Amino acid sequence: MFQRFKGQVLIALILTGFCVPCVNAQVDVQKGRHSFGVSGFGGDASIAGQVTDVLKNDIRLSGYFALSPVGSAEYVESGTVRGDRSGVVIECVVMQQATKKVVLSKTYQGSGQDLRRAVHKLTDDIVQAITSQPGIAQTKIAFVWSHGGAKELAVMDYDGYNVKQLTYDRSISVRPKWSPDGRKIVYTSYKNLFPDVLEVDLYTGQRLRLAAYPGLNTGAAFSPDGLSIALTLSKSGSPELYTMNAQGGDLRQLGHSRGGKSSPTWSPDGRDIAYVSDESGAPQIWMMGKEGGTPSRLTTAPSYNTEPDWSRPPANSDMKPMLALTSRVGGKFQLGVYDHSTGAVTPVVADGADNEDPSWAPDGRHLVFGKTQHWRTQLYLLDVVTGEQVQLPSIEGGASEPAWGP
Amino acid sequence: MRKKFLVEIILAAAIAAFGLTGCKSHSAMNGSGNSSNGEGNVPPLEGGPNGGITSNGGRPVGMTGEPVKGQFGIVYFDFDSARIRPSEDAKLQAVAAYLKSNPGNLVVEGYCDERGTAEFNRALGERRALAAREELVKQGADGSRITTISYGSDRPADMGHDEAAWSKNRRCEFGIVNQ
Repeated sequence: MFQRFKGQVLIALILTGFCVPCVNAQVDVQKGRHSFGVSGFGGDASIAGQVTDVLKNDIRLSGYFALSPVGSAEYVESGTVRGDRSGVVIECVVMQQATKKVVLSKTYQGSGQDLRRAVHKLTDDIVQAITSQPGIAQTKIAFVWSHGGAKELAVMDYDGYNVKQLTYDRSISVRPKWSPDGRKIVYTSYKNLFPDVLEVDLYTGQRLRLAAYPGLNTGAAFSPDGLSIALTLSKSGSPELYTMNAQGGDLRQLGHSRGGKSSPTWSPDGRDIAYVSDESGAPQIWMMGKEGGTPSRLTTAPSYNTEPDWSRPPANSDMKPMLALTSRVGGKFQLGVYDHSTGAVTPVVADGADNEDPSWAPDGRHLVFGKTQHWRTQLYLLDVVTGEQVQLPSIEGGASEPAWGP
Repeated sequence: MRKKFLVEIILAAAIAAFGLTGCKSHSAMNGSGNSSNGEGNVPPLEGGPNGGITSNGGRPVGMTGEPVKGQFGIVYFDFDSARIRPSEDAKLQAVAAYLKSNPGNLVVEGYCDERGTAEFNRALGERRALAAREELVKQGADGSRITTISYGSDRPADMGHDEAAWSKNRRCEFGIVNQ
């Protein structure tokens, strides 16, 4: 199973690597990129090539840099790699070419299998040193893997490598969401026939059943402090929003209205919950306080808005919290960002394919989403500052409902 | 003293068994370490009615296997809608009539076509199943014997990508659970 995965990933790697032309994001943030030259690594030639490839891909995906020839680049990398008994040692120096100032000079160690992880750490350090912004190279993405009529959960590195299957239920496991500490994933599972909310601990493999009420149990989402979970239950007779604590106790219903509610997402300060309600006749994004209270409607157009995801950029980053969502326009799905000041939705991916289920990276600048073309869904990354989309290596059978880890 | 304890224990067990404490079931599934996925034993589901005509029916206790389907006609829906069309009334009448004359529990499955986002479709599929259930209750069926399962746009009846296929996928199916 894993070997077949690796083969697919390698083939996909050769085929992909192009940037799909995309709609420019009308997001009011500076778009400048630094030119970055990768001169490679001396030392062990058998490892240097792979280290260079991973670094170049990470630098490109960060969004802050444009890879360019070493001679003319603003920043230049150089270094050496050597293999030893325990794995690999990478020494790297990054210099600002014009001033000859060394912005990074560090050594990284990784075991043979952890070579990618060591380079990801290097890239995050480079991003931090040059831009003072948080990098994403060490993050992970959970997603739904479709194959053979079943849907299983899987987790991969943010660049699409190291795919690891999480569930083996040969059932339907969907809608993963991470705990803020990255230890656990809550999701919707049909392994016991009924749609229940389960939680899997990524370190122990232990699974807990958090919600198994009559009817629908789905849409579980951790609060930013990790102490609460919002979710959708239909046990009252229609799909409504609830909160519970992280152990599944202290269940509270949040309001009751006509129509159905789903897809809760927490505000970064943990005080409010945005969600989908079709009480106005079609699904739109609404918001209410985490204790319930009077809901307020956020979106009015386009006529179908669902799957909100609220970003949580760190306090010191250039990015502000944003609410991404999926709109349906002319029968096609677009990604949009809700503007709180105008009440309008700005499209950020509208290219004629079906683009759905955005999930923000912890930097609040990148997101991952599913793009369906010819009825096949694969995962793409979006940099909302540059508007650039990148397809992740293809997953055989299809990948959907991604969730970017902390 | 011992006899009094015994009575209390039996009473507590009876209360738990009849679900009068509510339908909370959040038990730990401990990994037994016998496979790479750490999957452990699953405690039995608690059943019992949730009370009230609008509340969802409890899950059937001691259910084994999937519901037996094919006995009842499939109810179809308009795009983006959970409204029961008048053309489908006769099918629901047949289901209600069966329930009133036969034992067992009913599972109502709600489905959507593939056009719609995944999680919203789970809610829409559930609204369809609940609408069918509400209609059955209105016709005299016992709501505590009817529970819903939404599959959203998963498990389509027709794998095509046109309206002919989609119209077959926007549906409710009915299954009998053997107790």
